[in-house]
Amino acid sequence: MKEKRTFIYNLEYYVGKFKLPLLLICAVVLIALPFLGTSQYIMNLVIKIGVYAMFGLGLNLLVGYVGLISLGHAGFVAIGAYTCSLLLLKAGMNFWLALLLSAVVAALFGILLGLPTLRLSGSYLSIVTLGFGEIVKTILKNWKGVTGGTLGVKPIPKPTLFGTSMTLANNGLYFIMLFLLLLVTLFCIVVVKSKTGRAFLAIKTDETAAVMMGINVTYYKVLAFVLSGVICAVAGGYYATTMGYIDPNSFTFDTSTTILSIVILGGMGTTRGIFLGSLILIVFPELSRALMDYRFVVYGVILVLMMRFRPQGILGWKSQVPYKLSKRVKKEVEG
Amino acid sequence: MKKVLAVLMAMVLSMAALAGCGSDKEESKAPETQADAGETKADAGETKADAGETKAEGGSEASGDPIYIAVAAPMTGDNENYGKGFYNAATMMAEEWNAKGGCLGRPVEIVQYDDKNSPEEAASIAQKIASDGNVAGVIGHFASGVCMVAAPTYQENKIIEISPSSSHPDYSGIGEYIFRNNTVIRTEAGAALDIAVNDLGKTKIGVISIMTDWGTSTGTIVEELLAEMDGVEMVAHEEVEESSDDYSPAITKLNDAGAEVCVCVGMYSLDGPVAKQYKAINPDIQIIGFSNAYDEQLLELGGDAVEGMCFPVLFYSGSDDPAIKSYVDGYTEKFGGAPSALTSQAYDSVGMLLTAIEECGTTDSETVMKKLYEITYPGVTGETKFDEIGDVQKEFVKMTVKDGAFVPME
Amino acid sequence: MIVQLFNGLTLGMAYALIAVGYSMVFGILRLVNFSHGSVYAFGAHAALLFVGFQFGLLPAAILSLLLTGVLGVLIDKTALEPLRKKGSVPVASLITTIGISNIIQNLLTVYFGSERKSFPAVFDFGSFKIGDITVTSKQICMCLVSLVLMAILVIIVQKTKVGLAMRATEQNSKAANMMGVNVNFVISFTFFIAGVSASIAGVLIGGYYEVVYPTMGFMAGLKAFAAAVLGGIGSLPGAIVGGLVIGISESMAATFLGSTWRDCMAFVILIIVLLVKPNGLFGKKGIVKV
Repeated sequence: MKEKRTFIYNLEYYVGKFKLPLLLICAVVLIALPFLGTSQYIMNLVIKIGVYAMFGLGLNLLVGYVGLISLGHAGFVAIGAYTCSLLLLKAGMNFWLALLLSAVVAALFGILLGLPTLRLSGSYLSIVTLGFGEIVKTILKNWKGVTGGTLGVKPIPKPTLFGTSMTLANNGLYFIMLFLLLLVTLFCIVVVKSKTGRAFLAIKTDETAAVMMGINVTYYKVLAFVLSGVICAVAGGYYATTMGYIDPNSFTFDTSTTILSIVILGGMGTTRGIFLGSLILIVFPELSRALMDYRFVVYGVILVLMMRFRPQGILGWKSQVPYKLSKRVKKEVEG
Repeated sequence: MKKVLAVLMAMVLSMAALAGCGSDKEESKAPETQADAGETKADAGETKADAGETKAEGGSEASGDPIYIAVAAPMTGDNENYGKGFYNAATMMAEEWNAKGGCLGRPVEIVQYDDKNSPEEAASIAQKIASDGNVAGVIGHFASGVCMVAAPTYQENKIIEISPSSSHPDYSGIGEYIFRNNTVIRTEAGAALDIAVNDLGKTKIGVISIMTDWGTSTGTIVEELLAEMDGVEMVAHEEVEESSDDYSPAITKLNDAGAEVCVCVGMYSLDGPVAKQYKAINPDIQIIGFSNAYDEQLLELGGDAVEGMCFPVLFYSGSDDPAIKSYVDGYTEKFGGAPSALTSQAYDSVGMLLTAIEECGTTDSETVMKKLYEITYPGVTGETKFDEIGDVQKEFVKMTVKDGAFVPME
Repeated sequence: MIVQLFNGLTLGMAYALIAVGYSMVFGILRLVNFSHGSVYAFGAHAALLFVGFQFGLLPAAILSLLLTGVLGVLIDKTALEPLRKKGSVPVASLITTIGISNIIQNLLTVYFGSERKSFPAVFDFGSFKIGDITVTSKQICMCLVSLVLMAILVIIVQKTKVGLAMRATEQNSKAANMMGVNVNFVISFTFFIAGVSASIAGVLIGGYYEVVYPTMGFMAGLKAFAAAVLGGIGSLPGAIVGGLVIGISESMAATFLGSTWRDCMAFVILIIVLLVKPNGLFGKKGIVKV
């Protein structure tokens, strides 16, 4: 079925054609943003959008490329946030080291959960990951000696760079977000374009066929699970420092569904779709404060309508076109 | 050359299109802020119209730029009752001032913010209030944990925050702009245990507490207080999830341990069901609650089971005091239900803030903040004066439920 | 200890009642119907509304059963059937049900308020002692009524013509279609039954704890789903066993570990069971054909 050349298609076409200048403009705008007199509130919002974009990119590796649905990624976010902030607060560790360690811890949890459960099929996996999120929450609530229970962890120190504290006011937090976001985005693109990414897509399209082709399905599934968990944990660790306070209720099922919705809304298996999804879903509640009571109803309606009329997401058309072969492969095929 | 031009054109076009889609961050932000401001104005317009009516009755005129007071509390979600109560009380106080000719001759307007009782939302609201910078003070944030996330932002930006509900010991120490019009947990817990031990003469005490930041802190303080008391024994302490309806495992544990009194550390939504489920297996159990049990909902949820339940409160709506009576009647007439203790504390908080502004003759937050430490305010929840860290001391009234109604204990 | 066991038994029955709804829909559509929890809350609120009209608890309950059943059908017809017709990926339906759950739950909050509301007690004849343990009549009636309802459901599925069609659709919907089974009707019927059972659960559980509130379906729904998977999804006796296992283990966890650990018990047991028996305790083994 060929996609009609709609407005969005044309838009995407031009964006694809003039990728480089557009990227440059975006970069300039993003770097200049804090110096244009934007208020702290807006900056805070932009940071939130960036963080959720990272969450979305992480989950996208799993949902968009391997086709596994996780409803418990808030669990990974929580693991990252708690590990990072506890290391900062109790061990007085450097922010970057703490962030790295929280990634390691999340990876361990990912392997621990992934190895036994990933042989379960679709819906079962969803419910197990959902359970994982709840279990993490319960442990955080009850392990009072370490996590502080429901009292949460506070005050989480701001990250420092060369001895200066990075705050919202001096835009340090914002640039750290940009840096991490760039890192995560590049990482995702590299993974997807590599052999690993092709294996992911093969599993998503037809698992049985992938097995026949000699792809170690379990290995790649666990890999995707761990990678996506690690990305969420890193973003979570960073987010904890910007908030300055976390408690077990910061990471609920709602967080997991929000992350999933970002991926779905923006377009599974795309990168810029995730940015757009994050932008819409984070800005929307802020815009509609006046709607108050009906805000979440509208949120639900958006999900239902999206699924009905554009299940591939707003910017999802690209995932429909054939996979682009790398130049080397093309040469071999043609030559 | 043509090609370059085409490229440029396409770029401009696609950028414009992107902005139209709302995908370009910079472009889409600007209209958002405007729209938001528009909303606030529309909102303010409503309040103004309302104030106008009152003015016609009151006689004197309030003019000039309005004084904005923010009410930041949960307006949706599980705790929306409290937030809506705060907002109602605040608008009522504002209308009273406007009827008298306003504060400093300027009309008073209440702006509401919904934090959904979530720290994340509260942080974002605090940023928003700080950025807008036109608010004379903030009444709110409901839960202690939420208050403590927002408070540093207010302190940093020199915005006065008065929480009518926060009870965590560390809250008011965050800074000099941070006040609370509520007692600290320890005082209230002491009053609750006083009922159990001295008024009712019980010695075996069981505790059920909810798993929230408030519940955990209060539960620990109750444990400490009980350990200090002579001849009183805490037989069991169970924590329960706020969201569960089935408290029977915890109750069975307390009952097996031989508790004579069950101290419920929770809201009325815990007290009612616990009372019901406990009385089903042991009709003689004495239930003790906290001041947040004082809500009409308790009677509805608990029915016969809460008969005889006791708890300390700071505010009793059935009081004979004429000032309290006229306030309660006014509130009931306007909003169709008697105000709760926390709502009344919100009412007083707005009153205190406006009084301080009036006495200073300015809305400059530093001057007003200093004034707030000096004044003694005769409120409906008693004489209120902030101490050096911004806390208040209040007298508790001991209440009980008799024949399906709240009455003071004898 | 025995009291705790009995507490767990009652709780387990409550989960089982909600679990059958998940089980039936999943059996036919292979879809985790996330909106089921809020449909259950809707059933309880509808009953509360009708009780307010003062014509007794029983007629109110029956009215709410019908209304909730219709809601179930409505969800299927408006949101899920178009997706099936389009042949969307399974995740689309999953997300749709999450969206619907959001809509129902928040509309309930808007119209009824988020606070806990008192609900009339059902089957309350006081409590009595067996030996030295106290049992309430509510607990016993709750178990009995649940068992009777399960029996009725089993009869519908096993003995009636519609039930036969349901089982046929469950095994292979295309083949069933070719054999003259109106698959869309069967699916709608399943949603209707699931809605009715959710509403019964809502009334019973609401009446047992004497409170209802819009978010009541969230945790209960997730745990019930865990129960359904545990027992082997698609199997009615499995739902009962799964519900009981989770109910009792929660009550045991509360006794030995503390009440705060109970919320994750359902999922811990679920993960363990799935690792040992990926299709649940009573689940049929799925055969993948290449």
